[in-house]
Amino acid sequence: MTRPLRLRLLLRDLSIAAAFASMAVSGQVPLWAFGLVLVAVLMGVLGRRPFARYPRLTAALLVPLAGVLYLAVASGQMDLVVAACSFAGLVAAQRVLSESSPATDGQVLLAGLLMIAGGAALSGELLFAVCLLTFAVLASLSLGLAVVEAAVPVGEPVPVRAVMRPLGRGTFVAMLGAMAFFILIPRLNWNVGVRRASPGLGTATSGFSDTVRLGGSGTLKSNPRVVLRARLSPDPGTEQLSSYWVGRTYDTFDGLEWSTIGASTKRHRTRVTLRPGADNQVYQRIELLPAYGSRTLIALETPAKLGNALTHTALGDRRTQLQELGGDELRFVEEGLGYSYEVYSVPPGTDTDPGRMNQQETDQLLALPDNLDPRMEELARRVVGDEKDPLAAAQKLSAWLQREYEYTLELSGDVADPLRDFLFVRKAGHCEHFATALTLMLRTQGFEARLATGFFGGERVGDEYLVRAGDAHAWTHVLVPGRGFVTVDATPPAFRANQSLQLIETMISLYESVEALWRKAVVDYSFRDQLDFVRSMSRPPRDASGQPRPSSSLPPLRAWVTAAGVALAIYGLVRALSQRRARRPAQEATRLVDAVERLLARAGLPPREGETLEDVSARLSGEAHPLAPVLAAITRRYLEARFGQRPLQSGESARLLAQLRRALDDGRPTARAS
Amino acid sequence: MNAPARAVVSPLASAATARAALERVAANLALAVQGKEKELRLAVTCVAAGGHLLLEDVPGVGKTTLVEALARSFGLSLSRVQFTADLMPTDILGAQVFHSATGTFSFRPGPIFRQLVLADELNRAPPRTQSALLEAMAQGQVSLDGTTHPLPRPFTVVATQNPVDFSGTYPLPDSQLDRFLMRLSLGHPAPEVEARLLTQQRDTTSAVEVLEAVSTPEELAGLRAQVAAQRLDTAVAEYVVHLAQATRAHGDIERGASTRAVLALGMAARAHALWDARDFVTPGDVRAVLGPCLAHRLLLRSATQGAYTRDEALHLVEEVARKVPAPR
Repeated sequence: MTRPLRLRLLLRDLSIAAAFASMAVSGQVPLWAFGLVLVAVLMGVLGRRPFARYPRLTAALLVPLAGVLYLAVASGQMDLVVAACSFAGLVAAQRVLSESSPATDGQVLLAGLLMIAGGAALSGELLFAVCLLTFAVLASLSLGLAVVEAAVPVGEPVPVRAVMRPLGRGTFVAMLGAMAFFILIPRLNWNVGVRRASPGLGTATSGFSDTVRLGGSGTLKSNPRVVLRARLSPDPGTEQLSSYWVGRTYDTFDGLEWSTIGASTKRHRTRVTLRPGADNQVYQRIELLPAYGSRTLIALETPAKLGNALTHTALGDRRTQLQELGGDELRFVEEGLGYSYEVYSVPPGTDTDPGRMNQQETDQLLALPDNLDPRMEELARRVVGDEKDPLAAAQKLSAWLQREYEYTLELSGDVADPLRDFLFVRKAGHCEHFATALTLMLRTQGFEARLATGFFGGERVGDEYLVRAGDAHAWTHVLVPGRGFVTVDATPPAFRANQSLQLIETMISLYESVEALWRKAVVDYSFRDQLDFVRSMSRPPRDASGQPRPSSSLPPLRAWVTAAGVALAIYGLVRALSQRRARRPAQEATRLVDAVERLLARAGLPPREGETLEDVSARLSGEAHPLAPVLAAITRRYLEARFGQRPLQSGESARLLAQLRRALDDGRPTARAS
Repeated sequence: MNAPARAVVSPLASAATARAALERVAANLALAVQGKEKELRLAVTCVAAGGHLLLEDVPGVGKTTLVEALARSFGLSLSRVQFTADLMPTDILGAQVFHSATGTFSFRPGPIFRQLVLADELNRAPPRTQSALLEAMAQGQVSLDGTTHPLPRPFTVVATQNPVDFSGTYPLPDSQLDRFLMRLSLGHPAPEVEARLLTQQRDTTSAVEVLEAVSTPEELAGLRAQVAAQRLDTAVAEYVVHLAQATRAHGDIERGASTRAVLALGMAARAHALWDARDFVTPGDVRAVLGPCLAHRLLLRSATQGAYTRDEALHLVEEVARKVPAPR
């Protein structure tokens, strides 16, 4: 027994790592199983196989592990699918650490396939696809090497390079073929009826929320997940936007939580105009990404018109309706993986029309909670002084808050009155505290104000602006007579946008852009996209103005190139098939041997190790076995066909097999050797 | 003396007639050498393939008898040369003889000018004399003093050597070993065969002396033509090469099969196919002649000076045959 190829084992172990990763990306595999498999694969990659000496003993280790998983399932701690997947990973790990043999390799790769299937059940988006591809490539290369290793006579070196080059090329061509198949073959969407969990990394754990509860979980300013992508026109041209993206506003504070009393018409419309537009509108084409996790539309302050809403679902994009809610909130009616829409916004404070407001709503802008600390009004009066202008008062208060109070995200647990805690005890808080304090202090002085939530900032990537979960923000709207609501932000400027690490931001951006591409090009790639693709291949090219170039009526160059590519592929296919036909006689004879040996094995006469059919026939003849004459005739015919250039006639091999079958059934020969 | 027989190729009707001829000869041989059917068939195969045969065995098991029987069965002219330490090349090849009466030289052919030459105990002669055989075995001719003398056809050398008593011998050089198509060992007959030999013994006339010819040199030449015409499929040819490569890569083998060994293996397998009346070679034919064709050509790592490694070599060849998968 020669030593197995190191490279083959490396490829095999790495393919197992990829298969396990396809499940692990779902985040549902228990941590201890994850650790065990990780350690096993690391040892395997380093060539350490400590279980080789005690295969039985170490296989017995799997029993208690299975028991632990069973208990976890029985106690409802773990899903059955997750438990099964984890166990497949543990079995693979045990096999990886054992001695390499054809049986072990087969078991390892089988476990890998199971894990891929488990991964498909647990998650199903880009990372899974990456793992699947990695597994497919590595496992095929490892399998190919194994076949060659088995075929090379003992003691001879395996021609690794000579094998890997065509094998790698073949795998590459197969991948290209799969992609071509994916693009060109009309497809049904198999996602019908299957509801997947949230794609990719899942929704962000924080960001824009439907309610604002002071002292609740708060905002994690370090979350770098991109929740919103926007294309602006006219292009602001700055790297970092200092703009407010508003989602909804709140007019009622009960001492703990903000809510909206204001009109809730609940009308469903595809295009919504909030207020009359202006000449200096900013156009935005916005995409809400899956990480956003909410259905509220977000727009630059101050949104004037919204519309053309599309829901991105697993079945493709769909025109959809919007729902108007209180607090100027607009919400998608349907659930989707993501959304896109268009918005026109006017610069904040240029809007003279405060919108639909009835008496109740106006009153609500001055309402104070019952249990408000009386010291607050006193404090507000001291700061505002005798200022009568709402905006000036708000700015005075805001500057004072920024000066006297500290920004912090380290909040202790629930407190009975978070606002009092912020203003008089800790004197530190985050944007929600600052904004709530400003809003209520304005109200105590008779200025109408409300809380607005959304995002602040926007980072330029390419020709788009990205907004991250950590950019979630809360601020104050002051109602200024003749100007409408004007934004005043009490939070210190340095803490308004997200504070995540630059490196993580970059990596997340990269990942999310690739994921978006994957979703657009693969998951949502539909029959219509196929048609568009084919049409774009055959249409004459357009110049910048969108007019077809009149010079030529011939198809464009890319159509010729594609046609040439297709012709080449067909030529290659025909050639491969014709070569296959030329080799058929030998293959047919080989198939005959396989069938004969199967029949013999079933009859309890399997070939001994290393025996050819010729040997078996000679042996049976020597033993004067009743089958010998029939088998001799068949063997003779096989040898002639395989090595004597007298190919089997059509149907001949079936006839020979029938003879053998009859002889086996009768237990006596039915044909004489010719 | 014998003029070299003209290589009359009497084309055999088919492989079936070739098989009949081989069976006839083997049956005839079995009258003289009993209980050795397998070895006899291999010897006939070797002669039919046009190869030279090395018989390696202890004295008294019938080596000489076999050679005589072969010559009689095929009707070949036979000469026997006892190789000794003082044997000179000219003692085998012949010499220019001066005729004082006419004052001229004329060539007097040596014992090698026969269709079947028995080189008895080849390894007792010094290498110079052994190598006198090389040209004859390889090219079927003898060159002396610038003149080339063709040997009679068909021409076959059968050499013997004693594997036990190596003292005072000159081990055959590899180049010489490589020129023997097969090496065979007869071994002692089975006890019942020996008993039969005893009971059948009537007088001093041995069985071989009354053996009759059942074939002709022309038929042998025809057989050789048929062997050369046998079909060797690419898959089988590759199998032969893989077997040879496996001996070259084997850890216990210092030097594996040569290219000449590959060709010899192919030729012997072609001849072996005739036993089954086939005109094509199967992997089974290759394996049947693998040991006799390859074992004596391998140089084993364990081989020390003069040590006897015949069984070990055969064992390694069998191992290689087991490991290299046959085409199917």
